[in-house]
Amino acid sequence: MIKFDNVSKRYANGQEALSDISFEVSRGEFAFITGHSGAGKSTLLKLILAIQTPSSGQLIANGVNLNRVSAKQIAHHRRQIGTVFQDHQLLHDRSVYDNVALPLEICGYQPSDAARRVRAALDKVGLLKKEKSFPVALSGGEQQRVGIARAVVNRPSIILADEPTGNLDPGLSAEVMKVFQQFQSVGVCLLVASHDAALIERLNCRTIILEGGKLLADQKPRPQA
Amino acid sequence: MSATKPRTENPNQPRVKRNTRAGQSESFVDLVKRHRRIARGSASRLLQTPASSLVTLFVVAVALLLPALLFGLNSNLASLLAGFQDSAQVTLYLQDNVSVADGQKVSEGLLTRSDIEYAIYVSPSQALDEFGAASGLGDLLIEMTANPLPGAIVLTPADVSPLAVDELARQLQELPQVDVVQIDSLWLQRLAAISNLVSAIGSVLAVIVILGLFFVVGNTIKLAIENRKAEILVIKLVGGSDMYAARPFLYTGLLYGLGGGILATLLQGIVLATFNSNLEGLMQLYESGFQLRGFGLMSSLLIIVAGAAIGWAAALMASLRHIRAINP
Ligand SMILES: Nc1ncnc2c1ncn2[C@@H]1O[C@H](COP(=O)(O)OP(=O)(O)O)[C@@H](O)[C@H]1O
Ligand SMILES: [Mg+2]
Repeated sequence: MIKFDNVSKRYANGQEALSDISFEVSRGEFAFITGHSGAGKSTLLKLILAIQTPSSGQLIANGVNLNRVSAKQIAHHRRQIGTVFQDHQLLHDRSVYDNVALPLEICGYQPSDAARRVRAALDKVGLLKKEKSFPVALSGGEQQRVGIARAVVNRPSIILADEPTGNLDPGLSAEVMKVFQQFQSVGVCLLVASHDAALIERLNCRTIILEGGKLLADQKPRPQA
Repeated sequence: MSATKPRTENPNQPRVKRNTRAGQSESFVDLVKRHRRIARGSASRLLQTPASSLVTLFVVAVALLLPALLFGLNSNLASLLAGFQDSAQVTLYLQDNVSVADGQKVSEGLLTRSDIEYAIYVSPSQALDEFGAASGLGDLLIEMTANPLPGAIVLTPADVSPLAVDELARQLQELPQVDVVQIDSLWLQRLAAISNLVSAIGSVLAVIVILGLFFVVGNTIKLAIENRKAEILVIKLVGGSDMYAARPFLYTGLLYGLGGGILATLLQGIVLATFNSNLEGLMQLYESGFQLRGFGLMSSLLIIVAGAAIGWAAALMASLRHIRAINP
């Protein structure tokens, strides 16, 4: 589903954010990307989302060769991916409902069909009562959950999440992870960047550890006792 | 937090199908509803900045008004010309050696031509009588031993357009009996030429105005896009195409064009009313009931539709260009 093949990313300022990364994540797999701040976690997700292009190596996600994509292909590619952004990226002049409905509107869903999906997604993150609120009226954690609802509303084939639990208390973090695991169970491929060691430890998923842009380790889940 | 399980379907395979299905099954009513929502959003954004919106609207209206007034003036001129059509006359002065009988024969011959409505022969003596009566020199003329006037044929062309009359005159000049062809409506031709000039100026002006509108609307759209950069960024991040992000701005351009067109037809009415009140005195002197008329419904509609189309096209060009440049 996602395949990194000796991928490096050097930013225009010369900063090498990723060097020689190779790994593969398949359908129905849930993997954490972890590492210190500046390790290259966000850069890795940005490459998959075609926000950045690899400087070298080959990257294929969802059958799309991300070394060479047109603007049109990029839009289509992103529609297949649900993304939780570190900085939420919500529309501040639209209600929670409209924010979550955005991916559906882009795909041209019927309003009645969309309404059902939006409410289901908001229900999953416990924000059903806030659908008429505007993002400014929400706490950081609530905004983050709106972002999560928007990421899953279109039933994507890949979910990327950049520090999705950064603003959430442990209880809510666990709830969000449960939502992610439901998607894993229906074949969605999940890649979650996080430095929440306790959470990663508890969930016992595959963990890819980055350090200074290099792949330090790719740990498989511990066998269940 | 309830844990409604996502539907157990393969999330990859049915995706394309699902999207096309959603696209296809969107009924016409839904489509109209969706576009109406976007249009309403664009309109309410315009109302949020009433002063600058009004200025743009006014600029668009004045730009549309200028060529519209010229074309309007021209269509008035054309109808004025049409009113004088009957007076288009051609006089053929015949050679001295053409007898009265021959002259009459030529005149009757001309009547059979399809491009001639009416022709009448005027003999030299009739011409002298008429001249005498008209000039009041009748008695004096009787004293003359020889009649200096030639015989003539006065005719009305079937087609009185300047081009057709010219062509007819050229053909009649070829007749052996004809000495001189005189078109009695030369001033009409001059007026027609002026009318053509006005219409040519109007066309050039229209081109300039369209370019100007592209610039004005394009610039307004560019500013609007800069103000909503963050929103466009989010739309692109979740997979919205450039065209999707451009849609509200297309409505903005369309509304500017539409509103400008409507305002232009209103302004034009005011301009014509002002002209007419001045024209009245002048036309009374000429005992003419002539009045400048408005564009009529069709022409007003044309201005509005043209304004809307130009506004939309200008917005399309500007928004696709500027939205393409916005990237995460
Ligand atoms: N747009 C950018 N231009 C230049 N350097 C960048 C850019 N984004 C990130 N970096 C650098 O790349 C490295 C990796 O950053 P990032 O991927 O954000 O790490 P993480 O998400 O793990 O904290 C950092 O040293 C950061 O300063
Ligand atoms: Mg980061």
